[in-house]
This record gives sequence, structure tokens and C-alpha cells, in this order.
Amino acid sequence: MEPIIHLKDVSMAYGCNGTRATALAGISFDIEQGEYVVITGESGAGKSTLLTILGGLQVPTEGAVRIGGADLSALPADGLADFRRGTIGFVFQAYHLLPYLTARENVMVPMSPERVSPREKEERANDLLASVGLAGKEDRLPSQLSGGESQRVAIARALVHDPSVLLADEPTGNLDSATGEQILDLFSEWHGRGKTVLMVTHNKANLSRATRSIRLRDGQVEEDRLLPSFSAVPAAV
Amino acid sequence: MNIRKLAWKNLLRRKSRAVFTGLGIFLGIATFVAISSITSQMEGAVQDQLDRFGANIVVSPRAEQFSLGFGNIALGGTEVAHSRLTMADRERIASIHHKDRIRSIVPFLITAADASGKNLVWMGLPAADVAGARPWWKIQGGAGLKPGEVLLGAEAAALLDRGAGGTVTAGKRLFRVAGVLQPTGEKEDGMVIADIADVQALAKKPGGVTYFEVAALCKDCPVEEIVAQIGQALPGARVSAIRQVVESRKAAVDHLRRLGFGVSAIVLLIGGLMVLVTVMGGVQERTREIGVLRAVGFRKRSIFSLLFWETGWVSLLSSLLGAGTGVAVAYLASPVFGIEHPSIVFSPAIFGAFAGLSLGLIGAIPPARRAAALSPTEAIRSL
Repeated sequence: MEPIIHLKDVSMAYGCNGTRATALAGISFDIEQGEYVVITGESGAGKSTLLTILGGLQVPTEGAVRIGGADLSALPADGLADFRRGTIGFVFQAYHLLPYLTARENVMVPMSPERVSPREKEERANDLLASVGLAGKEDRLPSQLSGGESQRVAIARALVHDPSVLLADEPTGNLDSATGEQILDLFSEWHGRGKTVLMVTHNKANLSRATRSIRLRDGQVEEDRLLPSFSAVPAAV
Repeated sequence: MNIRKLAWKNLLRRKSRAVFTGLGIFLGIATFVAISSITSQMEGAVQDQLDRFGANIVVSPRAEQFSLGFGNIALGGTEVAHSRLTMADRERIASIHHKDRIRSIVPFLITAADASGKNLVWMGLPAADVAGARPWWKIQGGAGLKPGEVLLGAEAAALLDRGAGGTVTAGKRLFRVAGVLQPTGEKEDGMVIADIADVQALAKKPGGVTYFEVAALCKDCPVEEIVAQIGQALPGARVSAIRQVVESRKAAVDHLRRLGFGVSAIVLLIGGLMVLVTVMGGVQERTREIGVLRAVGFRKRSIFSLLFWETGWVSLLSSLLGAGTGVAVAYLASPVFGIEHPSIVFSPAIFGAFAGLSLGLIGAIPPARRAAALSPTEAIRSL
């Protein structure tokens, strides 16, 4: 069976004023459907660059990236946009909710260009907000939500198209440990449904939920190891 | 939630920016509509005023020119009139279909006759019509002309050595000099001007008329129509528009219209540039937001639509508001521009609203394209 993510000799270099900085230097690995992978490494190791390449936001300068059977380097700009909408869910450290929209509207944003009835969009957003524990807070603005609640809205937004792969960049970085655990519970629940999770983190506590750990150093894979399987998916979130 | 609503929500969030963006269009359209409305009404007022300033149609007897010659020797020529005009023709002219557009019909009789021993050309016209027919005459020493009086052209006065209060004899009649015309540079400088009845008596042509000068108000109907109708009323007459007069009046009105369009175009251009600059600045500020939208799967076209709708909303509202304000300003300011009966002119407002919307959308194209072309990498770096 083809892995859901396949990276082969992926390199990424940035050039500026004649200088050239290498963010990734020939990375190769496969990730199977349903894995929960934590990517760690020091600052500048290439974690965020790797995440943007996996999300189809950047095309590597060298190498091949296949996700869900799609060759990302062969897709045009609109094809990459469709790929992101259909296959990938992004969760950012700073949530990046649109401050002028309510929680429900933020969740509905990815559906904005679609010709779906407003009622259908609204029901979908309400269901997702309820699934992340925000029922009754649909009409609140981000400024009226706590950090944890904002991150839940961001997760609901990432899941709106039922993606195969959830990419998260330090999702608990701005949260206290208790709230961070609640967020990790949501990822675990999602993973428990057979979805693939890739999380970039500095926090070693996050490793406890993962099935695999990849550590980067200077743009290369320093360590790639399987972790003891975390099977205790919380019954209720 | 759709692109339109997203655009609207963003506008509400950035009210001051939206107001500033719309201000350019609002001012541009309000100015355009106000100037166009006022200009449009002024065109009529100016045309009316110009039409009141002298005649623009001449009615004279139809005549043919005969050339006389023998072999290669030219012996000059003579003009033979087929018919004569009389005072009764005045009523026929006044009975045409567009009679309500005729402001005045002034009969003239030109004849050569003795004036205190000098053979001079006499011009006869109704004494009461002198001020209306020749409003540019400046008469020294007199207030007007009455039957039994004459006005002397500047050269005629010098030739006869007469001034206001003097007398001129013609045959057995004695005329009092009512005044002397300041030099006009025209033929009347050498003429004696008198009431037409006096000149008819002097020329022994009772009821005789050499030509009529007709002043027609041509604001709403072409002078050619009036000329044709007079021609039908007087088949034996030659009716012609004084082209120079008609064209100069048209030119004056055209200048006014061009001035209005020129000012409006400049204001609209400035409005369009304001939209361009403001929306372009907005794109810079919203790189992060655009990055989020790209990350959640917005296509380039969706980003373009978002920016386009935002500007569309602003342009639509500010254009409608500008058009309404322009109409109101034009109506209220009309008296200042000498428009006696101001009216609401809708066509500039309708055109202005469409122009404002179009201008806003055109102004939004470059920044919207730029936002759409923003690479996800560049946008995402700001996240």
C-alpha cells in the first residue's frame, strides 16, 4: 500500500543577495496512513519549512513529494490550493483566526468559495465546534475566547473538509499545560479515527501521544524512531 | 459565509479604511454629477441668454443674380427679386409650428435717401425694437428712438455734422436727432436709423420690408427646423440661419461642456488613484490574512474575488452616495450659477453611479491581482 506521505531527497534552499541558506538537505521518509508523527528539532533545523512543503505551500528546490497519491511538484497553483483544501488541515501556533469573524464564521471560512447552501455550511461549522467542545460559543469573536478556545476553533477550521492529514505547528506553544493537554486530546481523537497527524513541536511532552518521532538537525533527519503506541484515546473530549 | 459576506465583514472591521477608500470615489462622483448637472442646466441657460442677444435667422426676398456680358467683356450684374416682403409677412412668420420658440421678428427697410442734402442710406426698423434688435448699440446723448426721430451712425453724424438734439431734413420732413451711435465698425456707422414707418414714407414704400431678422430660441430645437418652417410659410422668401451666430453660440456651449467634463475627469482620476493606493496598501497590511486563506485552500481566483468584492461594496455605496449628493448640491447651487429654474437632472447621476462603480473596480484590479499572485510562501512567512 502506498504511504500517505512520501518524501524523496527533498531539499530546500533560500537565496538572497547572492547568499544561499539551506533549510532542508535531502530529506527522505515515508509516513503511513494513520500515523501520529511528531517532528522535533532545534530552531532553524527546518521543521517549519518541512511543514509548509508537506502542506503544499512551498515547492522544494529539489526532490519529490507525494501526498495522498498527488505529486505536489507537478500541481499548478490552483491544484495545490485544491489539494490543501481537500487533503490538508493546518493548525498554527498563533491560531490565526480572522478577528472580525465569529467562531462559527471562522470555521466556515474554508468553505467560503464553495457553492454550498449557507445553512449547510452553518450546520457543518456548528457540528465541528460542538465536537471540539465549543457548543454555545459559536457567535463569539476570537477576542472573546481564551487561547485554548481559539485553538479549538482553529482545529475545527482545519477539520472542516475532513482532511486526511492534519499538520500542526506548535499547536500548544501558546497554551498552558492543562489547556495544551486538552488540545492534544483533540489531536488524539482525530488520530483515533485513522487520520494522519504531523505535529512540529519543541515540547517533549507531546511525544507521549505520538506513534513516531522524527528529529531534524541542520535540515537533515537526525533520528526517526517509532514510539510506544498510544492507544488510550479519551472517550470524551 | 461566502466571499461576498467575507468581504463585507472585512469592510465593517476596517471602517476608517473603507471610508477613506470610498471618499475618493464619493468626492469624484459627487463633483462629476454636480458639475454635469449644473453644466447641463447652464447650457440651456447660456443658450437662452445667447439667443436673446440678437437674431439668428434672416428672411429676405428670393432673388436671382444675372450676369451681364458680351463675349469676354463683363458688364457687371444685377439682382432681380422674385417677390417683395411686406409687414404682413411678419404675421405669417409668427404663425409657424415652432412659434413659441420665436422671441422676436424685426422688419428692416433699407433705402437710400436724402439727409440734409447728403445722399445716405436709411435703415428703418420699429422704434420700439431698437434695443432688442441691436442690444450692443451704445447711443450717445439719447435714451432711445421714437417716430419722427433718427439715430445717426458715427460716420453719418460726422458727415452731417450733427449731434444729439440736432435736426436732419429729408424731403419736406424734419427729424430730430435722438442720439449718435458709438462706432460699431459695421455699415450702420454710415447710416441714418429711423422708425420703419418713417423710412417707408420716405421711400414711398408703404408696408415695404427689405428683410426680417428673426431671433429664435434654439435650446431644444435645431435652428434648421425653424428655418424650414418659415420657408414653408413664405414660399417666395429666402430664409437662412446666420451660421456664424449659430456656430459661435454652439461653440460657447461646447466650451462650457468641455470644461465640465475636463474638471470631472480630473476629479474622477484622482478618485481612482485613491482607490488604487488605498487597496494596494490594504494588501500589504493583509499579507498574513491572505496567507491564512491560502493555507485553508483559497484559490488565487478566490483571493482576487475577495478583494474585488470589498472594493465593489465600497464603490457601490460611495458611488450611490456621491451621485445623490451631487444631485442635491447641483440643485441647491443652481441659483449661484444663474439657473433661474433649477431641475433635477438624473442622467449624470445614473452615469456617475455606474462610472464610480466601474472606476472603483478598475482601480481594484491591480491590487487584487497582486494579492492573488502573492505566493503562499511569502504570505505564510508572516504567520
